[in-house]
Amino acid sequence: MHALSKYIAKRLLWTLPTLLIVAVMVFFLVRMIPGDPAQLILGDGASPEEVASLRTDLGLDQPVPVQFVYWLGNVIQGDLGQSISNGAAVLPLMLDRFQVSATIVLVAVGLATLIAIPAGLIAAWRQNDHVDIAVVAVSTLLMSVPSFWLGLVLLLAFGLKLGWLPVVGFVPFTENPWTAITYVILPVVTLMLIEVGVLTRMMRASAIEILRLEYVMHARAKGLSERKVLLRHVLPNAFAPTWTMIGLVLGGLLGGIAVLETVFTLPGLGRLLVDAIFARDYPVVQGCLLFTAVIYVIVNLIVDLCYPLFDPRVTAS
Amino acid sequence: MKYANLLRMTATTALLATAAAETSVAQETSTMRVRINADIRSTDPGVNRDANSDAVVLHMVEGLVGYRDDASVAPLLAKSIDMSADGKTYTFKLRDGLKFSNGEPLTSADVLSSWQRYTDPKTAWRCLKDVTGSGVANVTNVAAPDASTVVFTLEKPTALFLATLARTDCGGTGIYHKSSLDAEGKWVKPIGTGPFMLQEWRSGQYVQLAANPNYISPGGERTGYVGDKTPKIDAVRFMIVPDDAAAKAALYSGDIDVIADVNNADIEELTGNEQIKVDKTAAMGLTALLFQTRDPLLKDVRIRKAVLLSLDLPQIAEALTNGQAPASASVVPGPSPYSGAAQKEVPARNVEEAKKLLADAGYNGQPIKWLTTKHYPSLFDAAVLVQAMAQEAGINIEVETLDWATLLDRYTTGNYSAMSFTYSARLDPSLSYDMVSGNKDKSPNKVWDNPEGLELIAESTTITDQAQRQAIFDKLEGMIREDVPLIPLYSGTRIGAVRSNVEGYKTWPVGYARMWGVSFAPGN
Repeated sequence: MHALSKYIAKRLLWTLPTLLIVAVMVFFLVRMIPGDPAQLILGDGASPEEVASLRTDLGLDQPVPVQFVYWLGNVIQGDLGQSISNGAAVLPLMLDRFQVSATIVLVAVGLATLIAIPAGLIAAWRQNDHVDIAVVAVSTLLMSVPSFWLGLVLLLAFGLKLGWLPVVGFVPFTENPWTAITYVILPVVTLMLIEVGVLTRMMRASAIEILRLEYVMHARAKGLSERKVLLRHVLPNAFAPTWTMIGLVLGGLLGGIAVLETVFTLPGLGRLLVDAIFARDYPVVQGCLLFTAVIYVIVNLIVDLCYPLFDPRVTAS
Repeated sequence: MKYANLLRMTATTALLATAAAETSVAQETSTMRVRINADIRSTDPGVNRDANSDAVVLHMVEGLVGYRDDASVAPLLAKSIDMSADGKTYTFKLRDGLKFSNGEPLTSADVLSSWQRYTDPKTAWRCLKDVTGSGVANVTNVAAPDASTVVFTLEKPTALFLATLARTDCGGTGIYHKSSLDAEGKWVKPIGTGPFMLQEWRSGQYVQLAANPNYISPGGERTGYVGDKTPKIDAVRFMIVPDDAAAKAALYSGDIDVIADVNNADIEELTGNEQIKVDKTAAMGLTALLFQTRDPLLKDVRIRKAVLLSLDLPQIAEALTNGQAPASASVVPGPSPYSGAAQKEVPARNVEEAKKLLADAGYNGQPIKWLTTKHYPSLFDAAVLVQAMAQEAGINIEVETLDWATLLDRYTTGNYSAMSFTYSARLDPSLSYDMVSGNKDKSPNKVWDNPEGLELIAESTTITDQAQRQAIFDKLEGMIREDVPLIPLYSGTRIGAVRSNVEGYKTWPVGYARMWGVSFAPGN
């Protein structure tokens, strides 16, 4: 346990330079994009004096390094600043939006995992026969379909034609769980279908490699049933690389699923980030990207910490 | 047995949940859902605002005056307006019995306190520069001689004072109750006299307004922001739906009741659907092609004229608006009462004349970089059409596509040779000409730098006689067409679409949704 604590502390310590690099890059890169938030707020009718005055009010007239030091000082104290667009505090705004993205991503990836693991395992076990070909074909198709297209098709089918589910809007679970579910079914299913393709291909490839190893042959030679061979000897070993992939997928998606959030009108983190980029809302862009980096690091740490559960050879030491 | 109980409990829970959901829907049957394409910026009238913010806020606050449907100005909170003989003093008499949404009476003191906050630079009111200093309507004093009278004194007479007070981007200079601010003077939410009041703003999702039980109607025809604005629904929910396709699907499915501004390309499809009603009217914005008259190549007016003559303007307007708006070669929008013969004339295409002008100017196919954006698809399409048509005259245009923020930045700094651009609505011709005119050294975003023209524009703001103003605008039109600093294409069409069970909704040139007087058909 002591070794584990030290390992976690060490990993977290290592994230600090990563986050500092992210902070520096995000801060300066976002300011290199042409476009002035003050001009965007004031519109086409604003005079140069008005724009300059608003830039002063927003602190954008200061040299960029000065702005960075000021911002970083606040970030260290847990203050990510306020949105230029609407004055809202960035941190609560992000956390609010993150809940929406996280709910959809966790449920979708969880369901995708539950489908992909058996599908990939069976496809590998029945390699090259019609079951394998069908699984590979479907998963390749799902991987190839753009998420916005699949989302729109589902929306048209179940929202518009059949009228079973609402087309736009969002209701938090805390407000009305039953209605909330109806609003997230389509985005969850869309994301799940896309991720099922990725994870099934990964699981199948890993399982095929394991099935070729000598200890599997040995287990079969001992007379173990195919079910036991697959579940006891192939699954745990083949799952480890898939678990890594799940971590990467989660890390990427938890940063926001901007396209799906736009199609399904969900108030998630991805849409917040995209809107902020278009509005040149620097504090929100910086906050979102820094937050995404933190999420990515934490998810991957959790994934690493779970390895010993699947592979006893892996330990913290 | 254990499983049977579990099943029974699950079924009961599901039924209760369904019942709760149905009750919730029933409670919301008189909530009308209106699409907005982005979240509002604030609820503070004319402060940190954009078009969506204005549209929402103007349901909650009202000013002394407001626009009619034809963009003329009429009393709103005022029952009468008297202008002194010298045109410098305006006396507003407030309507009797006015109340804020919290039930408190509105008096001239509220007008004074609202005005004081508007003119405090810390408020960052959008229209501060227009009513102070060298603005179009420099207000030198505001007094409240009694509880129902407010007197504004101007430095000099102007035709634009009332129009400035009514401007949507000024928040209609809405009058609000002191409880709209907290003890420290920070904005909380609007407590106004409008037909609706703020119920809930859920960031990134929707803004819900409830009918104002204390709304006092002035009576009269419902037009623009004036007349009878009595709400006929319990609530209106402005739903944030950024994606056009999703918004259209939501309108079809009944998840949205009103879209105030649909694409021209969708009108045929929407008109053919019996569940949807479509309403359209000429708009007051402007889509135009801008030239940088200080560009080494385009500073030669002959080349600018050659580009103009190479274009088939009616065909461009037809293509860009799907036949919904005619070509308009003036900065004065078609619906304006000042859009006369001079403004309505559209130059004909003449490729041979264009070639002759180019030869005279010594043009040898040097590339003209043309900036545009896909943020507004019509601007990109305009650039492509111009490129193709101008090529027939031998003009070499290279199209460069930028995002909107970058294009706006290049426009503001004047850092371009030519670009497609769109201006928001200006409801007075003086403002339309002013929008494109100015000293480029001071305002690089202006395209027409002509001292005589600037003097005429300034003069037009001081005259109230319509015929005299028209004469000035006709002269300006001739001058600006001679210089060709820009090529106006069209002022556009505003198309609204509503579900067939929505009654009373009307699209208007300003374009913002107005949800008073709108209701669901009986039985819905």
